[in-house]
Amino acid sequence: MDGYIIGTVIKAILILAVISALAGFGTYIERKVLAFVQRRLGPMHVGPFGLLQILADGIKLFTKEDFIPSGANRIVFMIAPAITAATAFIALAAVPLLPEFEIFGVTIKPIVSDLNIGLLFVIAMMGVGLYGPLLAGMAQENKWGIIGSARTAIQFLSYEVVTGLSLLAPIMMVGSLSLIDFNEYQAGGIGNWIVWTQPLAFILFLISGFAETNRTPFDLLENEAEVISGYATEYSGMRWGMFFIGEYANMITIGFLAALIFLGGFNPLGFIPGGIAIILKVSFFFFLMLWVRSAWPHIRPDQLMWLCWKVLMPLAVINILVTGIVMMV
Amino acid sequence: MSENLITVTIDGIECKAKEGEYLLNIARANDIFIPAICYLTRCSPTLACRICLVEADGKRVYACNAKAKDGMNIVTQTEEILEERKAIMQVYDVNHPLQCGVCDQHGECELQNYTLELAIDTQEYAIADTKREVKDWSSVLHYDAGLCIVCERCVTVCKDMIGDAAIKTGPRGGDKLDKELKESMPKDAYAMWNKLQKSIIVPSNGTDHTNCSDCGECTAVCPVGALTERDFIYKANPWDLREVPSACAHCSSACHIYYETRSESISNPEEKIFRVKNEWNYQTLCGAGRFGYDYENRDAKRDPDALVRAAETVKSAGTIKFNSMITNEEALMLQTIKEKFGVKLVNNEVKPFQEFLKHYAKAAGHMLYKDSFADMRECDFIISVGSKLRNDNPAARYLFNNIQKMNKGAGIYFHPVGDTLIPTFGKSIMTFEHKPHDEEYALLLILKLFGDHEKLPESVKEKFNEDLVARLGGDSESFEATFEKMMKKKESFALMVGEDLYYHPKAANLAKLVALVEESTEFKVAFIPPKSNALGVALICDLDQECEGVVVGYNEPGDFKISALGDGEFDIPAMNQQEGTITNMNKRVVVLNAALDYNGYTLNDIMNKLGLGESLTVDWTSKLPLNKGYQVARFDDLPDGFKNDMSENRGYLLANLSVEREEIELEEFNEKALEGDIAYRCNPQRQFNDFSDKAHQIFEKFALYASPERAEELGERVRVDFGESGAIELPVEVDERISGEIVEVPDFKSAYGVYDLFGQNRYAEVKITKV
Amino acid sequence: MDLENLKDRNIGEQKYRMLDLEPTPTTGWGKFKRVLRRSVKLELLVGLKVTIREMFKALFMGEMHTVKYPFEKLPISPRYRAIHEMKRLLESGHYRCIGCGLCEKICISDCIRMDTRYDENQRKEVSEYTINFGRCIFCGYCAEVCPELAIVHGGRYETASEQRASFSLFEDMLTPIDKLKEQKEYPGFGAVSPNADENIKPTPLAY
Repeated sequence: MDGYIIGTVIKAILILAVISALAGFGTYIERKVLAFVQRRLGPMHVGPFGLLQILADGIKLFTKEDFIPSGANRIVFMIAPAITAATAFIALAAVPLLPEFEIFGVTIKPIVSDLNIGLLFVIAMMGVGLYGPLLAGMAQENKWGIIGSARTAIQFLSYEVVTGLSLLAPIMMVGSLSLIDFNEYQAGGIGNWIVWTQPLAFILFLISGFAETNRTPFDLLENEAEVISGYATEYSGMRWGMFFIGEYANMITIGFLAALIFLGGFNPLGFIPGGIAIILKVSFFFFLMLWVRSAWPHIRPDQLMWLCWKVLMPLAVINILVTGIVMMV
Repeated sequence: MSENLITVTIDGIECKAKEGEYLLNIARANDIFIPAICYLTRCSPTLACRICLVEADGKRVYACNAKAKDGMNIVTQTEEILEERKAIMQVYDVNHPLQCGVCDQHGECELQNYTLELAIDTQEYAIADTKREVKDWSSVLHYDAGLCIVCERCVTVCKDMIGDAAIKTGPRGGDKLDKELKESMPKDAYAMWNKLQKSIIVPSNGTDHTNCSDCGECTAVCPVGALTERDFIYKANPWDLREVPSACAHCSSACHIYYETRSESISNPEEKIFRVKNEWNYQTLCGAGRFGYDYENRDAKRDPDALVRAAETVKSAGTIKFNSMITNEEALMLQTIKEKFGVKLVNNEVKPFQEFLKHYAKAAGHMLYKDSFADMRECDFIISVGSKLRNDNPAARYLFNNIQKMNKGAGIYFHPVGDTLIPTFGKSIMTFEHKPHDEEYALLLILKLFGDHEKLPESVKEKFNEDLVARLGGDSESFEATFEKMMKKKESFALMVGEDLYYHPKAANLAKLVALVEESTEFKVAFIPPKSNALGVALICDLDQECEGVVVGYNEPGDFKISALGDGEFDIPAMNQQEGTITNMNKRVVVLNAALDYNGYTLNDIMNKLGLGESLTVDWTSKLPLNKGYQVARFDDLPDGFKNDMSENRGYLLANLSVEREEIELEEFNEKALEGDIAYRCNPQRQFNDFSDKAHQIFEKFALYASPERAEELGERVRVDFGESGAIELPVEVDERISGEIVEVPDFKSAYGVYDLFGQNRYAEVKITKV
Repeated sequence: MDLENLKDRNIGEQKYRMLDLEPTPTTGWGKFKRVLRRSVKLELLVGLKVTIREMFKALFMGEMHTVKYPFEKLPISPRYRAIHEMKRLLESGHYRCIGCGLCEKICISDCIRMDTRYDENQRKEVSEYTINFGRCIFCGYCAEVCPELAIVHGGRYETASEQRASFSLFEDMLTPIDKLKEQKEYPGFGAVSPNADENIKPTPLAY
């Protein structure tokens, strides 16, 4: 039991450290990818290939003045970013990041907690994440913040419906909420990937994943062309940085979920070992988000709602119905 | 002056003019443009450029020498005339260097202007050039023959206006023109070119250096960059210079000038006067006016303690001693101080003149001489009495000369100090080298010759019995015939009265005689005020004879010195640093403008400390005494310039107020003749006061000036002993144009106290010993 | 790069295309059709294709646009107007400026100033010449008006300095005497046009 606690703590700390670092690295990758797409060079001069730009940004964020507007609700204002970051990391607790491996004779499961309702937990935690931007926007006494909050509420809540419904079909097929079960369900190779049986669910999940992580083309919460910086308008320094880390952690989470649920998880891919395979898959999803950002414009809030309730949600319901009928038959 | 005006039509515009006036002058007066390079408005036509060709009643004439007839119809531009003018300009451009960038005239060059005006864009003519040397003619004149277009304006102005005739045309040694050209090119252009190829300007004394008064008028009239001031060469481009219209403050003529200023250099942004320009078609400058400009009080600072000290000193002073280098406004301030605090005002330069004016006014019944020098330009007979014309007042000398040259005039010059230049002004000039203090006889002679004898009192007529001509040192036998010849066709007469009369022991007598001349003859009479603003000071200030108590020197030596020269205990602005007015010899109140910055206090600041001041110095302008003929005029409203018809439009003319007239009674003429060595108080040309001396381009020394023979006798340095009043040691300088034994002692340095040596006299018996 | 090459450079190909925009559907059915068409035709993926294509071009085909400015500089037009240069006469090495002051006069920002004097050889000598680059707007009038092609615009366009009113002296702009051979005739602003000879008439000479 002691070993379990220590192992869990170590895992938690590792995830926290690695994912935080990855979030920072993510910003670097994002800049680079966007630059290449626009035939620019991106960060170049701080460290080799501009890698230390992350460090420079970190120093900048940490040393910036942390101010709280006089009219703001101080406590809520201070807590809100922590909610975003915390929920993003907590969600990762139920996600098996890598296949099991042995080190020093100990078999390690690279999952903090293999809950039998893992998927539900992850989705729930990401849902709780809505409180971060919502409270932040409302606490800062800024009209752009309020608009940002409102958009947070409608966007996150709406798309949670689509996420849940789109995942329902695969869950019905696998018959479990544990992500490890999902992984094992697809152990038979590429042909067994759920994406082939549930393509619509995959697309719906991806679209709603973009919305849940607040990425272009659905980054309405802090769309600077319309609402300055939305819920983050009054934030500066590391508090603002925490929103950022949360966003990138969420991107990684969504990447893992998509890989685990639809693309065969960490099963070995031909000659590629499972660990590498899942990292490649997650990387692909991460890249896809950047790629999409570079190619597509924002959409309007009304279009967002229209898309959610009139297109995606009915499609998801139909998908469940069809899946159910097929399974029954 | 006949008032028969005729009408001529120039380019359809009807112009009123006097019969016999030159067409070009009529056009200029009426603002009609006829191109002309060689003609100067107040000089005789040269006919060098031939570009002023016009068609008068269908005939081609030169506008500069064609006289107007009633009903004449003139066309200034036809196809043929244009062709001719173009050819002339092309010829002028043939060997004139066209690298205008390195020429000082660049930007104000008439050759440039006319070449562009006539749109010369091709050159059809060519001839081999001759080597023409660059020469420095004098300490101020620089002649670049390579640029010269031989328009002879310099020669003309030097002869007709200045009277020096120091330059002439000389051989150029150029190639002969191709004969074929005579047929092929327009004939006036050919004639002009023919002449141009033959001549160049040279000093007329046969040397490489001019012997002249260094007035620099030739540099002003030069249309191209050939004749320039040595000091100005390549210093500044004309367009960089800021033009400040003002008046020259050196002599009582107060000629209109433009100070041209610019910041001194890149490293020194301080404004500096680079040169002085004048309206040479309307007024002629002398050397002091043109070159004596940089006498500003440069380093003055505002020191409140000094101001308090100065105010206290002025208040408690016994005397303020000043001279005529002062504006009307400052003079009025001094007068105000006198009225409030009982301070005495002493001015050696003006006091005798003021007395003379008073005597004259009593005798004549009006405060000022009737006529002005400006009116005398039309006269054809001019007499100068009591003025060392060459030195005292250049404007008067130019007038004397101009009348001889332009009006075929005649002149009589009365002066004890012989002058070799005056007789060269014209053919009909008579000079009398009379004894000092014999000016009475000169006036008597005028009365005798020209006066209406019925109007004259018996006491005067008695004197006519004497042989006046002989008394004045003339030849009484030949006089009559010569005089008759001089009087031929003479219609209007002018008399210039000079400084000698004011400093005469019998000045009162002379004043009365002058009044008599004015009354009983047709003469226009005008006085030459002794120094710059002498007339203004004489009218505004109530002067005292003797100093008393603490003496505050105002540009003069004293116990406490207020000075614009930068050498006093308290600084005041020099005449080129302040606004104000001057009353000039034409009885005109003319405007002075500030050309340079001044950082110190002014006299007005002292007045403010004393509780008598105005907010600005020029606020005093409208307070000048009305009972002396001044007007209530705001300084800013005073005009400053000339009109096209040559009339002066500067400031305003003093009103000549009537005063109560007293019966003229002459005292006995029994002045004892001076014996032995005689010294005459007279400045060298171009020197008038401490300020002209301060200017860096005025080189005339403070020395004893004598004729060449006399200088030889005296050696290099002498002591001049004035007896009781003191002595002075001076170097000896030769003035080649003096003749006779009398020597000249200058007074332009106030520190030497020359006025005190001479007393109320311009002549003194002295003992001269070699040192 | 000289003027000829510059003329060939592709500046603006003007290959514009009009988009054939269909009218916006107003009926519900029309809108539905549009959504369907757009979804099925995968128009959205065109954007992705374009961006990934550009990325490949940049990374693997050497079509990166970025110029690493302080390390590499783009060639500038010979008509570019940067910091002035004062030229020398190739024959004598003497500076060409004759001190005519036209540049000083024409300068609309009033930043040129020169002092001249009469020198020992009876020539006009420029004793000091400055351009206040803090004020200069690089309009090129000075180069255009210069009768001697003495003042021209060079290619040195980096004019940042610690002082706002940066100041330059004649000597700084003058071609160094040891680099006289490298001095090139200025083809840009204010230079004699290539066909100048056709536009002037010859002046006769007597010898």
